[in-house]
Amino acid sequence: MNVTGIKIDSPPRTSNGGSTKVESHKRRLSTSPGRVAIFVVLSIVSVVIMYPFYFMAVTSMRSQSQYELGKGFSFASWIRLFQSVPVAKEMLNSLIVCTFAIVIILALATSAGFALAKAHFRGHGFVLLGIVGGMMIPVQSIIIPEYVNFVRLHLINNYFGAILVYVAVGTPFATFLMTTYFRGIPEELIDAGRCDGLGYTGVFTRIALPIAKPALATVVVLQFIPIWNDLLVGLLFLQEPNVRTFTVGLGVLASSRVVSIPGLMAGSLLSTIPAAAIYVIFQKYLVSGLTLGASK
Amino acid sequence: MATVTLENIKKSYPNGFEAVHGLDLSVSEGEFMVLVGPSGCGKTTVLRMVAGLEEVTSGTLSFGNRVMNNVPPRDRDIAMVFQNYALYPHMSVADNIGFALKLRKVPKNDLRQQVSEAAGILGLTNWLDQKPGQLSGGQRQRVAMGRAIVREPSVFLMDEPLSNLDAKLRVQMRAEVSRIQRKLGVATFYVTHDQTEAMTMGDRVAVLNNGSLQQCDVPQVLYDRPKNIFVAAFIGSPSMNLYEASLSDDRTTLSLGSQSIKLPEELFKVRSRLTNYAGRKLVIGARPEHLTIAGESDQPYIKGDVDLIEALGSELLVHFSIDARRVQAAGIQEDLETGFSISGEGVAKADPRTKVTIGSRVQIGIYVEGIQFFDPSSGDAIWD
Ligand SMILES: Nc1ncnc2c1ncn2[C@@H]1O[C@H](COP(=O)(O)OP(=O)(O)O)[C@@H](O)[C@H]1O
Ligand SMILES: [Mg+2]
Repeated sequence: MNVTGIKIDSPPRTSNGGSTKVESHKRRLSTSPGRVAIFVVLSIVSVVIMYPFYFMAVTSMRSQSQYELGKGFSFASWIRLFQSVPVAKEMLNSLIVCTFAIVIILALATSAGFALAKAHFRGHGFVLLGIVGGMMIPVQSIIIPEYVNFVRLHLINNYFGAILVYVAVGTPFATFLMTTYFRGIPEELIDAGRCDGLGYTGVFTRIALPIAKPALATVVVLQFIPIWNDLLVGLLFLQEPNVRTFTVGLGVLASSRVVSIPGLMAGSLLSTIPAAAIYVIFQKYLVSGLTLGASK
Repeated sequence: MATVTLENIKKSYPNGFEAVHGLDLSVSEGEFMVLVGPSGCGKTTVLRMVAGLEEVTSGTLSFGNRVMNNVPPRDRDIAMVFQNYALYPHMSVADNIGFALKLRKVPKNDLRQQVSEAAGILGLTNWLDQKPGQLSGGQRQRVAMGRAIVREPSVFLMDEPLSNLDAKLRVQMRAEVSRIQRKLGVATFYVTHDQTEAMTMGDRVAVLNNGSLQQCDVPQVLYDRPKNIFVAAFIGSPSMNLYEASLSDDRTTLSLGSQSIKLPEELFKVRSRLTNYAGRKLVIGARPEHLTIAGESDQPYIKGDVDLIEALGSELLVHFSIDARRVQAAGIQEDLETGFSISGEGVAKADPRTKVTIGSRVQIGIYVEGIQFFDPSSGDAIWD
């Protein structure tokens, strides 16, 4: 039984007499055929994953002619990238769009998720069903009508327009995830909060939200990566240079008359950094967030 | 501080199930009231209604003169200890204990002092910085207590607070909870399904079954003068031996299966209503300690076959069977403490030096003054 929702791993038992036996058993396992097979498979997978990064890194360190020759290294492409693209401005645009979209998604998903999980209102099952249904709608299918609407509302080339689209696309899944997480919070904990003096809002902000940190981190990571990397919505809704996100900037670069592969690679490499950083920062929570169902 | 009064309280859940049928109960300031009954009888429901966590369907709940039916939990000045402790996993022990005070905007210094005082009482001083997840079950239980006592509430509510502890710790905490409650002098509702806990802790004990109050009195009265078969069977361990019996027309003999015992005339002076049962069936009950396993004695006796002997050190529990029909009180699982019950089986408490062997036929002396009589159709006790 695990009422508090916290799981602590029991420390390894070293005082027990059989421990040496266990260790030697482990050592033998590490060279067993099964282990070797796992190692080989994992190595292949990591090569497949790492190779694009290697390719980006190596290619970006060549000028166009070095790239065509396939040898030599220089910073030429990096310099050209910063000369032809307003990197800082576009990164900032990306960050603004991402941050606002995620903050709004979190606000909507947590409050709706909490209500769906704990408010026990009539018809919450149907509401949740509708939200899950929303997860099934691909952004591509609504993007054109959305564009038409936003033109009328003067939301094109406006951060807010793109943010709204990201929020619309991201909120259903985030809400679903938060609902599932909040459902795992024992009812008694909420009752305890109510006895201690909390109302509905207090229970939400002072008990449910702090406990849901892993789920919040999961939502942040799972939303940040696709929004940061998104090209489609950005290309349609943020076309003007002063509101362009970094990916749109790279997209413009890629579609210009002379395409510099090394320059593109430099830009692509640069654009993966924030997403990777977010992942690294939140991964500690992320793991427990994704395995939540198992421990409850 | 207040007297808590429940008047004709009913509770129907949204699915239409009526969990509590018209409960009348009052707990005065400083009183330790235990609600006891088998699982599912509505104890938690009652407690949650007093806390305000569950709506009262009808009836009046008041603290002192104030009707509380529609007052939200946070304005009731109650503290509740939950069965699973319900500690806030993201807060340290100190923050858990002090949370309610913090919400009341108690100044920081006072708060810290009150928390450390409560921690001192409960022996948690060295654990204040830990998170609940790092504590043992007993420590978590103490934190839950600490969270309740630090607030100095006017009503204390506890829902099976000891049921997740192991047996030894449970006995220890039993005394501790009683001690703390006396010290605080707060009206307390304590829910348990364990009759031993109820008997040892309660100033008064309210026995519930199927959402109805069976009897509410001090423990000794519940034990000595149970109002009905349910209370008789529920209170006491091992539980009372209840058999179907019949009184002869001249009401001098009581038949138990194929055997019979003589009843003294004085008995009918004490229990005049018993005379109405001449020539009729009734249910008799005898506590195990009112039965003696004896070779010779001048008490009325019956004979029984010994099935099992449990040596507890200080006494022997002798399980026997006779051919009379054993009466079960509906809703009681016999496996609560001693194990099982077969038709016709009974238990007697005997001196540990008694010589008995399994399979032998023994005389079971009956202390007639201790016999309880019940009406077989209503289940009510037949007293005066
Ligand atoms: N939310 C609910 N909806 C419907 N029935 C309930 C609900 N909560 C409890 N009950 C029912 O009410 C009865 C009493 O429950 P409870 O008060 O929890 O019993 P106890 O605490 O004595 O074990 C049980 O039969 C239970 O199934
Ligand atoms: Mg209960």
